[in-house]
Amino acid sequence: MAQVKSAAFKKASTRALHDQGIQHALNHVMNHFTEARASAIAADYSDESWDAMRTRAAAIKAHTIGNLDYYLDLADRSIRRNGGHVHFADDAADATRIVIDIAKRHDVKRAIKSKSMVSEEMGLNDALKRAGIDPVETDLGEYIIQLAGETPFHIIAPAMHKTREEVSDLFHDWLKSAPTSDIARLCSIAREALRKHFETAEMGITGANFVVAETGTVVIVTNEGNGRMVTSTPRVHVAICGMEKVLPAIEDLPVFLRLLPRSATGQRTTSYTSFISGPRGPSDEDGPEEFHLIFVDNGRLNLLKDEVLREALSCIRCGACLNHCPVYRKVGGHAYGWVYSGPIGAVVTGPMTGMKQAADLPFASTLCGACRDVCPVKIDLPKLLLHLRHRLAEGTGSGERAGTWMERLYIRRWHDAVKTRAALDRSTRLGRLLQKPLVRRGKVRSLPLPVISGWTKDRDFPALAPKSFGEIWRDGLGPAREPE
Amino acid sequence: MPAEEHPNKAAFLQRVREALGRSDPLLHMPDHPTLKAALPRQEEKVRTVRARIDVLRAQNLKKLAETATAASWHVHGPIAVEEAAEVVAGIASGLRAKHVVRSTEDVFRRVNVDSALRRSGISPTVLAAGRSRGRSALKGLAFEADLGITGVSYAIAETGTCVVTPRKGIARLTSLAPPAYIALVEADQVLGNLDEYFALTRLVYQKSRGRTPTYVNFISGPSRTADIEQTLTIGVHGPGVVHMVLIA
Repeated sequence: MAQVKSAAFKKASTRALHDQGIQHALNHVMNHFTEARASAIAADYSDESWDAMRTRAAAIKAHTIGNLDYYLDLADRSIRRNGGHVHFADDAADATRIVIDIAKRHDVKRAIKSKSMVSEEMGLNDALKRAGIDPVETDLGEYIIQLAGETPFHIIAPAMHKTREEVSDLFHDWLKSAPTSDIARLCSIAREALRKHFETAEMGITGANFVVAETGTVVIVTNEGNGRMVTSTPRVHVAICGMEKVLPAIEDLPVFLRLLPRSATGQRTTSYTSFISGPRGPSDEDGPEEFHLIFVDNGRLNLLKDEVLREALSCIRCGACLNHCPVYRKVGGHAYGWVYSGPIGAVVTGPMTGMKQAADLPFASTLCGACRDVCPVKIDLPKLLLHLRHRLAEGTGSGERAGTWMERLYIRRWHDAVKTRAALDRSTRLGRLLQKPLVRRGKVRSLPLPVISGWTKDRDFPALAPKSFGEIWRDGLGPAREPE
Repeated sequence: MPAEEHPNKAAFLQRVREALGRSDPLLHMPDHPTLKAALPRQEEKVRTVRARIDVLRAQNLKKLAETATAASWHVHGPIAVEEAAEVVAGIASGLRAKHVVRSTEDVFRRVNVDSALRRSGISPTVLAAGRSRGRSALKGLAFEADLGITGVSYAIAETGTCVVTPRKGIARLTSLAPPAYIALVEADQVLGNLDEYFALTRLVYQKSRGRTPTYVNFISGPSRTADIEQTLTIGVHGPGVVHMVLIA
């Protein structure tokens, strides 16, 4: 599995905040995404009709995930009836082994890939290389970060942190192309380089945006056309997807095909939507002779088991929650330390990879709710983040640590201090005495106590006022009382 | 013969079931509207869809021209069927195309693209395996071509989409590998929206007792990317120039 570096979130996000290149890219791109989304929605929908569509999509997802065993079974039977093969992989290692076995059986030397987040979870490219198979990413953004040896910065714009100059340097190093700052020229350099791979690769690897259970159809939504190439020219096509990608029937697709492109790139529709229902037929002119679909668990059961977190499996990976998140918009994608970033990454990384190493992520949110408001399938992300914080604090579930004894002590003392009116008045008087040496111009600049000293590290704490509102009120600012 | 069931399937599904708080498989299909509509009900639905398409034909055609233009198609027409071949030849000459590949949808029987192209000095190739050509040759031909021409199964006004269904005589690469592409759309192929398309598709699936096309593509404009600095660039891996010829 791909390395999980989420434990270093604080350090990595601090680094990102001081990286001018990343800050420039985020400032530039994030507004572009949010504006494109807003105008694409406004062009065709009223607030009410857009909301109704989200409600419908959320209901379809909740229904499918609530009966996931049934729909996985149906999808499996349909795809095999269409002549395809279906695999069920418990974890990343399992899925990787399956892909490599298929590749070995077909004597594959070179595999072309279109975008697949699950293959990022698996760290598939490294595993393929170790097995002597040369993997080539064909989505332009993924190709760029593959050359750079990095991981995706954003779920739908993997190389958004790279400038044209950096891309030109990468192409110069790897493809020996002349340096250029013309983006169209850079695209055509990549086109030429990848065409050779499209013509010669023996195996195509893709993800799946949706899998329709009844007809056994894998749906792939793309803009560049690489997804179509990867599913047309090689001898073997292997699609890899999370087990939650299944939908009941073909007529469930329209709402998702309307929600996804608008939420993701702000398009009415993407350039291409491909529907693949097995290997090519006997009379088809071209297309892979063999088709495989791998359903992957890789930690998703941990989400499914938890009745609150289950909702996160409805995610269609549009990236809107990242684009609207005040935290992601400052720290970017790499700080989250694994494959998924932003609010959805903060929710799924812990349960999928182990809570302990991702314990900081649920706290990397202001709970402003922007993510929930834009989510095309209405995932209540703030609720899920609070649920995870609760689990972390209470120490329920494996690998989760309860709050420290010191935190608990503070909470108990706080409880005693405020539980009655009389107690609150007493504590307030005591607080005024104790704060005296710490107050400078009405602010407490630092709290020299363990644990809570962090509160005043980056901001001041307002000092207790000499008189509380209640006291001012009692002393005569309240309304004159009628004599009885 | 279908492939064998994967050895891990039963255990995998059992774990999913238990995570959902059940110990046994469901006895009945879950209650979901798009799945339970049986053949008679779907036929009823499709009758309504067809009636709507008939009534709204002119509007749909107009809407398609708008959405397709917005999606960066070059839209021609609607024109009379007799003029279509000349329009195609005109586009091909304008593109200075030398190697033209096409597929074999029915529309090519009504629109004699080949002779119009020949009159312009271009000899088109049908990208299909045949007596003189094996399948292995198709890839090379497709990658050498500078223009691909196909008909469509449907067009969808809502999204500016041509639905292309590869099968015998219709290679996947015809509409993908060349840098330019022309789609021929006849007025009676134009649907209003995605729901209508999928309603029709499901009926076909039900009537053919569970057979479904191996591959279908929605093509909604040129190949595009914004992966470098969010700057829109067309023609990355698929055609950068796309023409839609509407035939009344």
